[in-house]
Amino acid sequence: MTEIPTLTYPNGLHATQGSQRGALHGLTRPTAVSDTKIAVRELDFHYGGYQALKGISLDIPARQVTAFIGPSGCGKSTLLRVFNRIYELYPGQRASGSVQLDGGDIFAREQHPNQLRAKVGMVFQQPTPFPMTVYDNIAFGVRMYERLSRARMAERVEWALRKAALWDEVKDKLRQTGTALSGGQQQRLCIARAIAVKPEVLLLDEPASALDPVSTLKIEELITELKRDYTIAVVTHNMQQAARVSDYTAFMYLGELIEFGDTRTLFTQPAQQATEDYITGRFG
Amino acid sequence: MRAAVDLFVRRRMVNALNLGLAVAATLFGLFWLVWLLWTLLANGLPWLNLTVFTQITPPPGSAGGLRNAIVGSLMVTAIGVALGTPLGILAATYLSEFGRASRLTPVVRFVNDILLSAPSIILGVFVYEVVVLRMGHFSALAGGLALALIMLPVVVRTTEDMLRLVPDRMREAAAALGAPRWKVVTLVVYRAARAGIVTGILLGLARISGETAPLLFTALNNQFDSTSLDKPIANLPVVIFQFAMSPYADWHHLAWAGALLITLAILLLNILARLLLRAIRSGR
Repeated sequence: MTEIPTLTYPNGLHATQGSQRGALHGLTRPTAVSDTKIAVRELDFHYGGYQALKGISLDIPARQVTAFIGPSGCGKSTLLRVFNRIYELYPGQRASGSVQLDGGDIFAREQHPNQLRAKVGMVFQQPTPFPMTVYDNIAFGVRMYERLSRARMAERVEWALRKAALWDEVKDKLRQTGTALSGGQQQRLCIARAIAVKPEVLLLDEPASALDPVSTLKIEELITELKRDYTIAVVTHNMQQAARVSDYTAFMYLGELIEFGDTRTLFTQPAQQATEDYITGRFG
Repeated sequence: MRAAVDLFVRRRMVNALNLGLAVAATLFGLFWLVWLLWTLLANGLPWLNLTVFTQITPPPGSAGGLRNAIVGSLMVTAIGVALGTPLGILAATYLSEFGRASRLTPVVRFVNDILLSAPSIILGVFVYEVVVLRMGHFSALAGGLALALIMLPVVVRTTEDMLRLVPDRMREAAAALGAPRWKVVTLVVYRAARAGIVTGILLGLARISGETAPLLFTALNNQFDSTSLDKPIANLPVVIFQFAMSPYADWHHLAWAGALLITLAILLLNILARLLLRAIRSGR
């Protein structure tokens, strides 16, 4: 096994990245645009006795797409599952360290996980439409937080489905069961469902890996479209996909964050040997 | 070459032998079942007429039907289902949803499996001891209670199995939208397992509708019309038992008619349960 150098991640890294990105992409946006949405510091994660994340520190910029890549078991999905504390459904899984959303500690005692999940939505690898109508699938999450009149709810459902580029395909099928849609439509339904709650962050855990190429393309276009309003963190095992959709990329290996930077730099001039080995297909 | 042909012939012979044995075993089993049904039809059908449903159980030598026993059976069974179903579903919900990590769960499951295979007469004697002796007399309520105890483990077992068939990602998806645990269970998991749970209830119902031994100790019998929960009540299994053991031909005829009636009812329930199960398998 090759020796992987451990990267201790400097806290003030973000400013540098912003300016680098501006310089590389030739963008005129001020660096202040990419303020930090989620700040992770020294995050450890354990599945029972197994340590899946080791001292992760990084800043996820607001209204950008951050991709997490790395071989299976590197901890990229685990990291994502910390951000909405969904791992807490399973006893024996625990996180330690600090994760801040807009400066607020997500592990704080007064932070109820269900309120956190209103702000941090998640879409999973397998499409998971609930066994109810398309309409109710969307309304399900909204009803957890808001009491809307029938008309307002209908508006919200349409808005979410339009945002997820699904409205035209399902507007006549709102009363049909969500499980009757195609795989790609089901996944966009799940994205619409997450958006309907009006979160600030969207976590996408390999959202296209169970889909055909056409559906994958639609999801990728959707991600690019959605980043105007949302901070997006996407886990993918597909490096081309990471390169296509993301502004920043984090490469993880064996539970550690090896390298994090803007996507173009990471893919063209990786600073770490391990990153280069991975993106050139030498392992993983 | 020669050896290869021998091997081929040998394999075909072994195949024919095994196939023959399997078919013979199936026919052997079916033979008794068909004989049983045939006897039941031949002896029961001639006496299964409208009077069976319109008149009450007669004294020997006079005309009558089984109306009070049919009504009593429906009542006692209804009590059993009304008590056994909610309790069983709640227990299964605990086992599958809330108590997964609890040390109590395997204990409850084990005890439930014992209850599932306990001879029904034991449960009858138990209710006799706990309820009938305390109340000082036999009653419809005691009969319903005994049937509930028989139905309970069936419902617990099938419901738990069906809830476990619902993939965890469905629960995660609902939780990720901020749904509290009880809403995840009631709005998503129950709905996904709906057909399976109903199947379990139908199977439980089929199981208790033919039970005789526990009713002998609890509901006993009643020659007359009664809908009182507090009094002994007529019911098909015990009436069949009593009439079949008697020396009177007209009672024998009614016993045959009652036996056919119960068998047809159970057959109908089982067919319904199977249709539902098939709907689950093909539907999702």
